[in-house]
Amino acid sequence: CSSLAGIMLLEVFLVLGTLLVYFLFSKKKEETLPFKDGWWGRGQKPVTKEDSSIRPFKVETTEEELSDLFRRLDQARFTEPLESSCFHYGTNSVHLRKVVSYWKNQFNWKKQVEVLNKYPQFKTKIQGIDIHFVHVKPPHLPEGQAAKPLLMVHGWPGSFYEFYKIIPLLTDPASHGLGDEHIFEVICPSIPGYGFSEAPHKKDFNSVSAASVFYELMLRLGFNEFYTQGGDWGWLICTNLAQIAPNHVKGLHLNMVSVSKLGLTHLLSVLLGRYFPGLFGFQDEDVRRMFPFLKKGLYRILSESGYAHIQATKPDTVGCGLNDSPVGLAAYILEKFSSWTDMEFRNLEDGGLEKKFSLDDLLTNIMIYWVSGCIVSSMRFYKENMQKGIGTQKHEKLTVQVPTGIASFPNEILHTPQAWAKKKYTNIVSFHFMPRGGHFAAFEEPELLAKDILQFVDKVEKEQLWKKK
Amino acid sequence: ESILSRIRSFEYSQKHAVLIPVAALGAGGVLLCWFKSGRRMKIIDMGDGWWGSGERTHKGKEDLSIRPFKIVTSDEEIEDLHQRLDRFRFTPHVEGAAFHYGFNSSYLQKVVAYWRNQFDWHKQVEVLNKYPHFHTTIEGINIHFIHVKPSHVPHGRAVRPLLLVHGWPGSFYEFYKIIPLLTEPAKHGLNEGDVVFEVICPSIPGYGFSEAPHKKGFDSIATARIFHKLMSRLGFREYYVQGGDWGSRITTNMAQMLPQCVKGLHVNLVFIARQGLGSLIRTMLGAYIPWLVGFTREDARRYYPFMQKNVYDILRESGYLHIQATKPDTAGCGLNDSPVGLAAYILEKFSTWTDKSFLHKDDGGLESKYSLDELLTNVMIYWVTASIVPSMRYYKENFSNDPDLSAHNRVGVYVPTGIAAFPQEIAHVPRVWAKDVYRNIITYTYMPRGGHFAAFEEPKLLAEDIMQFVQKVEQL
Repeated sequence: CSSLAGIMLLEVFLVLGTLLVYFLFSKKKEETLPFKDGWWGRGQKPVTKEDSSIRPFKVETTEEELSDLFRRLDQARFTEPLESSCFHYGTNSVHLRKVVSYWKNQFNWKKQVEVLNKYPQFKTKIQGIDIHFVHVKPPHLPEGQAAKPLLMVHGWPGSFYEFYKIIPLLTDPASHGLGDEHIFEVICPSIPGYGFSEAPHKKDFNSVSAASVFYELMLRLGFNEFYTQGGDWGWLICTNLAQIAPNHVKGLHLNMVSVSKLGLTHLLSVLLGRYFPGLFGFQDEDVRRMFPFLKKGLYRILSESGYAHIQATKPDTVGCGLNDSPVGLAAYILEKFSSWTDMEFRNLEDGGLEKKFSLDDLLTNIMIYWVSGCIVSSMRFYKENMQKGIGTQKHEKLTVQVPTGIASFPNEILHTPQAWAKKKYTNIVSFHFMPRGGHFAAFEEPELLAKDILQFVDKVEKEQLWKKK
Repeated sequence: ESILSRIRSFEYSQKHAVLIPVAALGAGGVLLCWFKSGRRMKIIDMGDGWWGSGERTHKGKEDLSIRPFKIVTSDEEIEDLHQRLDRFRFTPHVEGAAFHYGFNSSYLQKVVAYWRNQFDWHKQVEVLNKYPHFHTTIEGINIHFIHVKPSHVPHGRAVRPLLLVHGWPGSFYEFYKIIPLLTEPAKHGLNEGDVVFEVICPSIPGYGFSEAPHKKGFDSIATARIFHKLMSRLGFREYYVQGGDWGSRITTNMAQMLPQCVKGLHVNLVFIARQGLGSLIRTMLGAYIPWLVGFTREDARRYYPFMQKNVYDILRESGYLHIQATKPDTAGCGLNDSPVGLAAYILEKFSTWTDKSFLHKDDGGLESKYSLDELLTNVMIYWVTASIVPSMRYYKENFSNDPDLSAHNRVGVYVPTGIAAFPQEIAHVPRVWAKDVYRNIITYTYMPRGGHFAAFEEPKLLAEDIMQFVQKVEQL
């Protein structure tokens, strides 16, 4: 009898022991992500060493470019919207006509090109392709203070231009009432395949490739330690960079966070989080933003992700017409600046487009896609990142130990609570619910975002957090 | 007293003699009622609609006239097209892309060159006009259709009316090769007994030369109703219906709406949303023991491996469906302005949906099954009518009202049904599953070859299957 009890006890211990070992060893290892080398140029990689010079670059335009654009705008073929459809079927063509009329008659591309050129831009060849970037140094630095390098990465359908309003707040905060304890020199590259960065000629250029390229860029510019900031694809690229080179990234600031490793706890928290928020680590604001989950989570994903689905599977098909019709391109891009700024804008006849942005700003961003002809390659990035499925790639399984600051904007497409984010970002230094603003944070609420970046950097610097890793 | 006692003695057996049959009758009656009500054919409510622009004017009846129509083109139209083709802005594809990223841009340049220099739209318009076209106004919008009667009917043969309905991104033009096989089978070496058809091919409202609805909510039920009204206006009380893609769903709805008018329903695509634990279990078992769940060997061959064919392949191919079902006006905007963009978008489907292995080819295998003239004629129909956006809205209207397309599964289809299962169709539906909805399958044929655009790609095979199906129905 006692021997039987003894055996049973042994069995229980064995099972418990195995479980313990399993849980201990299944904790995500603090691995780094390997640097992804590659060569993305046309044809074979040449044997000679790559030209690593940094060449100044200026955006240019010509009369032919403009007259070609105008002719296409003049001959645009529109389709009447259904009665009372607002922006529920996509960009409303009645409003689109007004935008096109402004584009043709009032928008001044030459003037906007000068605006783009007000910040110094450069190109340099990395891994076989030309990388475009903006590099803005502070106009003046107080005695004894060094500028902190900050890499800011855009997303889709954005561009480096999204940062033009926030750059002065970061390079010259004192002039904008933000205090001069932390002054940045800002580097905004264009993701390869976007804007003035050359598009990869080979398959498989994903976020880890982009992070590796930008890491090389920062090293080439002489920065050994730097901060990174991003949203949309910029979120993923900066995250990957922090995973590749945690000793070089002092701090990672994000205005968007997405979790792709979903498990049982996520499912339970979606089902029960509304009733037992404390149990799942949800704060009141989390609950307000996430629930009712069907409406704010599932239906929103389904109704807004058609573009991602087709871009992740057939980018060359969907981009083809958009590179040929500026009106089609504008409709496609503007739709996102409408619903991703505020979901309620879908109920407005004009999509609420000019509530938060000027037409000049919106069209300048679109023109970057048009004049560089990059819409197709920008869409390919979705396929390269998502074709193997979501949640399957190595970098999605690794955590981030670099000090992280998250600015959570209320009108972001999907809300990720801190409880979920901290499973991946193990060193969250600041997490703030922003009072207003949507997906294009830097473009829409530059001051709010700049303040959050500054307080985050302040925490990291004061507590020397990057040294504690 | 003896009588009483007699009655009493009778009572027991009498009680039984009376009660049991009564109970049996009662129970039987209840059972019969329940059985019949379960079996009683449910139909889809016909409803009504009006799709014209602005307010409906009540004065005067709707114009019921049937007006002959000829497709016309002009030099300006062709000149405008040529200019757009000339200034197409091309993006090089990544090395080794074939058709994996969508339409291969190198091959697209060849297609555009042909389109610009050799394709003759004037000639193709004459081809389109070889069958009589008509317009008629139903529920406030102009419905386009072609109506082809046999040129001569052999003595003693009856002519069956047959409604053929196209899908997306097709058009009435997909039926041009099959029509002569159906109206004059003998001439084309088909001799399926006494069956000869007069064919009616309408354009779905919002497609081709049919006016697009101006109001929200125009789905396959509304289309089914309008096509019933069309057939009625043409004087037909009983007819056969055939379709693939949206045409399959529309003709199915027609059979569910007015079964007494639909003599037979033939589909080359089965649109079924398989739901529930039951289908999951059958799927899993079917991989190992197909006969246990009613799969034939051919079913198993076409259906498995499950994840690859039914999940990955469909996810990979349904991006267009997702964006069209949510943001059609955005998705179609550029395509209505760039003919090359339109061609790439449409022709990608004619490649992948004809044969999935075409994805690996640099030219998408397009010209192995179709001529560029035919493919571009179909694209031109979308271009000259500027119907790409309304054609895409059809997805939103249908999926919004019925997200997994299962609303009418319970109604079932009781009309004699024929199913032609083509091997390269996007998804395979075994007969045993089709039976869940199509309760009266007369024929189910595993076709030897062919894909989604059956009438366009394998007109003879499809015509033969339609005929053998109709033959069987006529003998019922």
